[in-house]
Amino acid sequence: MYKIVQKEQFSEKVVKLVVHAPRVARSRKPGHFIILRIDEHGERIPLTIAEADTLAGTITLVVQKVGVSSTRLCNMSPGDTILDLVGPLGKATQIDKVGTVLACGGGVGIAPLLPIVEGFKKAGNRVITVLAARNKDLIILEEEIRQWSDEVIIMTDDGSYGEKGLVTTGAEKVIKRENVDECIAIGPAVMMKFTALLTKKYQLPTQASLNAIMVDGTGMCGACRANVGGQTKFTCIDGPEFDAHKIDFDELISRLGGYKEQEKEAWEKVVE
Amino acid sequence: MANLKTQFFGLELKSPVIAASSSMTADLNQIKKLAKAGAGAIVLKSIFEEEIDTQLQEELTKSRDLEPDPEYLDYFDYIIKDENLKDYTNLIKQAKEAVDVPIVASVSCISASDWVLFAQKLAEAGADALELNLFLLPADVYKTSYHNEQFYFETIKKVLEVVSIPVSIKISHYFSNLGNVVKKLSETGVAGITLFNRFYSPDIDIRNETVIGADVLSHDNDYLLPLRWTGILSSKIDCPLSATTGIHAAETVIKFLLAGASAVQVASVLYNGGAEMISQFNEEIAEWMDEKAYTEINDFKGKLAISSKHVAVYERAQFMKYFSAKRY
Amino acid sequence: MEEYLKIEREKEWRADLRKTIKNKERIELQRVKMPSLDPMERIKYQDREVNLGLDIQSAKAEAVRCMDCVNPTCIEGCPVSINIPKFIKNIERGEVLEAAKALKETSALPAVCGRVCPQEKQCEANCFYTLKLKKEPVAIGFLERFAADFEQNSDTISVPETAPGNNIKVAAIGSGPASLSFAGDMVKLGYDVTVFEALHEIGGVLKYGIPEFRLPNKVVDIELESLRKMGVKFERNFIVGRTASFNDLKEEGFQAFFVASGAGLPRFMNLPGENYNGILSSNEYLTRVNLMHAAQDNYDTPVLKGKNVAVIGGGNTAMDSVRTAKRLGAERAMIVYRRSREEMPARVEEVHHAEEEGIEFLNLNNPVEYFADENGRVNRMRVQKMELGEPDASGRRRPVVIEGSEYDIPVDVVVVAIGVSPNPLVPSELPDLKVSRWGTIDVDPETMQSSMPELFAGGDIVRGGATVILAMGDGRKAAAGMHQYLLTANKTNKEKIEAKAK
Repeated sequence: MYKIVQKEQFSEKVVKLVVHAPRVARSRKPGHFIILRIDEHGERIPLTIAEADTLAGTITLVVQKVGVSSTRLCNMSPGDTILDLVGPLGKATQIDKVGTVLACGGGVGIAPLLPIVEGFKKAGNRVITVLAARNKDLIILEEEIRQWSDEVIIMTDDGSYGEKGLVTTGAEKVIKRENVDECIAIGPAVMMKFTALLTKKYQLPTQASLNAIMVDGTGMCGACRANVGGQTKFTCIDGPEFDAHKIDFDELISRLGGYKEQEKEAWEKVVE
Repeated sequence: MANLKTQFFGLELKSPVIAASSSMTADLNQIKKLAKAGAGAIVLKSIFEEEIDTQLQEELTKSRDLEPDPEYLDYFDYIIKDENLKDYTNLIKQAKEAVDVPIVASVSCISASDWVLFAQKLAEAGADALELNLFLLPADVYKTSYHNEQFYFETIKKVLEVVSIPVSIKISHYFSNLGNVVKKLSETGVAGITLFNRFYSPDIDIRNETVIGADVLSHDNDYLLPLRWTGILSSKIDCPLSATTGIHAAETVIKFLLAGASAVQVASVLYNGGAEMISQFNEEIAEWMDEKAYTEINDFKGKLAISSKHVAVYERAQFMKYFSAKRY
Repeated sequence: MEEYLKIEREKEWRADLRKTIKNKERIELQRVKMPSLDPMERIKYQDREVNLGLDIQSAKAEAVRCMDCVNPTCIEGCPVSINIPKFIKNIERGEVLEAAKALKETSALPAVCGRVCPQEKQCEANCFYTLKLKKEPVAIGFLERFAADFEQNSDTISVPETAPGNNIKVAAIGSGPASLSFAGDMVKLGYDVTVFEALHEIGGVLKYGIPEFRLPNKVVDIELESLRKMGVKFERNFIVGRTASFNDLKEEGFQAFFVASGAGLPRFMNLPGENYNGILSSNEYLTRVNLMHAAQDNYDTPVLKGKNVAVIGGGNTAMDSVRTAKRLGAERAMIVYRRSREEMPARVEEVHHAEEEGIEFLNLNNPVEYFADENGRVNRMRVQKMELGEPDASGRRRPVVIEGSEYDIPVDVVVVAIGVSPNPLVPSELPDLKVSRWGTIDVDPETMQSSMPELFAGGDIVRGGATVILAMGDGRKAAAGMHQYLLTANKTNKEKIEAKAK
């Protein structure tokens, strides 16, 4: 049983949950994720660990309502318990002192970006972060990101906050004006795809963190498999981060839609 | 100063001396030495379907204290194939990172579907070109020549459909109408043809009454077979040719270039003399070119290729002339 | 062992029982048939067991056939050395609960084994009837299941005795049959055993892999309850090496580890198109249905229900997958296997049941490519026909491609059930651990000890892929091996401490 200790509503669809999971908090490094199951009937879903507090024994998860399971999770309150939670899963981010790092976060991808930005800054890098979302409401964790970035550029599709435009606009501005050594992009698959295409043009080494569908999360089922450089890799044990220039994003996007019909049906049932 | 550049494998090469597929070219250290010695290209040791099969048979029969259930080994060949492919793609990647010389992946298969799978994976791994080691020892008494030839053409067609890097082929000389087959092969879209594949020969140990393997390395005169055919074919087809087997001296390389080959592939001479043999060859070829006032290979390539249409007659006549002159 | 068998056999009740019917008459009896649900009915249900089990009369009648041999060769075929004559003769005399106790002397999961063991290759293959009389063996499997179920359904589930606790903590990694068997033996010896499981349910392949219609999860749960009563502790959602490291656990007092994390790494064939939607590993397919109950409406996890489902493979996992597909409503549930029917490694009983259920067997076929619709969902599978060629080194005839025989089969779900590989997680956390090229942990076959003295291993992670019962046998061996190791280690420690004190 994993108790929800704190909840913050970032926006109508995005919620921050602080969950008591002391062992996970202690063993976790930036880049790791967990898999949780709300209750007996729930799905197992992966969520990146945004923060961890080893003293309090808690981990922070940022959840966006996209379907039945995520909505149920967002509707939970402090004091409620999550039945199952396991982690830390995946490979931790490779954090080195490389010089200048460009971090790109799209929507709810900003949450997993936070610990990585913190890690790179602590390792002595110059960190420039581009945050992007559809509108002002969906830009999350801005203050926390600012704490660990030398510069923050905010892009919104509708111009309601920061500059109007996509993440790639902000990213290209940075790449053109100064030397960037490494890039990390986390966000919706489409966003990572186009960020990767941009950085490939400039031969800027880029890592992307994939959000594949998972069932067990421990390498057992292959649901999360992705094509990276012509080889099949498992997002849950070889990733979730991979060389963005080698990822077949189109295949990933197609695989993410694998259960679209079932998800739609389930959603309609809940709404009824 | 003579320029040794040439084209083969669909690539620009700095030298006509290519390191052929051998166990040397499976070793990253040797690959580095070969590149340093000035090899025009390096053909990585061929990935053999049979070797994979041998590994499989080993797994199936090895004695185990802790038996798995039969389900575990049922499709184990897929795992072994996968492992071997992974190792090979790693070799390609490491070789590409270590040297500047073109890296050619080589595949030797029997079944058509594996050709395609392997070719695709190796192309994706970053090889500059692909060599299909198409060798069929026509020993099956029930298969016709048509059937055997179809193997070559089917395989080439299937591989060309799925890879975008240049594909060359290495063939044997076992054809009843070698000239015609090579002409047809040259029109399939392959980037080059290498004459000829060398089969390991069996020999017999009369003491133990067993069949054993004969000498693995080539002998000095082995080059005469490919030399004749290079001379006959090079002017008749558009596709570049390279030659292999028995090339143990720089002089022999020059002979092949004069006969019309664009490049040669060497292996045995490297086993005996080390990777440095290539730099020695390159030096000697350049010296000869300087003496002859040739500035590049195209200046003399194919100069002595047979251009007459009546090749067969010419050859026989030469033979008869030679022996009629001698009295035993 | 021999002594013990002799003593048991010479007990009065056994001797009396042997005298009640002459062996000559016993061998004239026919082997009992296992009643099963009607095939067309049973394919409507994911969770209705196909085999219904024997009733008391049939069980007793079958038990009579056993001749209580002086030298029970059947036991030699049992990886966990169940005292087979003892439990069968207890059934014959009507003491079914005693029979269950006899099973539990060495087997932690008798209700499981009675259902999933390939007895036809093990105990029953070594029965006197099979070896000497060339007749059908005693139905040891059916009787084992009968006794175990009888106990499960009674009010008195026996809990084997345990020695007084010795406060030595040991850990089992993975909660599948190897660990459960290990835990059962260790806790009997007085050890403080904790079983760590990565998933949210205990049982490993017993829960996620074997379908409800062969092994109901609630049967497994009752066996687990016995282990809990004996004192075995279970920690779910715990990945040793991740949630806590081996060193963390050592600091918490664990002195030795049994790694049984299984062969939970799916294998694919690396064919073009294999990553299209609708193509899954058997692990994923079965986990969704068996562990996450995806076939039931009130569970959130979805599963793809195809009309034309092809399962690639010929083992028990393939049978489980294809029969699950049928139950999920497939119009065509096909097995695509590259060798012949006779060469399929699946249990004959499973193949037979599958046939009854209308599974189509496309033998001598092998997929080479998949195609998808505009949404990226598989809609066609290209297969090649095969013929059997020269035997390979193990004696099985090689499947050889018939060139030019490709044809397409419309499919909307494909399950790849060609085998699994050892899960790489634990070996990747322990770089010093000696591991084979294929990911299996190297162990001493007698003690199951690995290259790290405090670490033992067994089950699929050691064998590559094995049966439930072989895993259990490994668990027992590892328990004995670890027990010896800990006795020596603790004795040495004690001596060291005493020497220091002096």
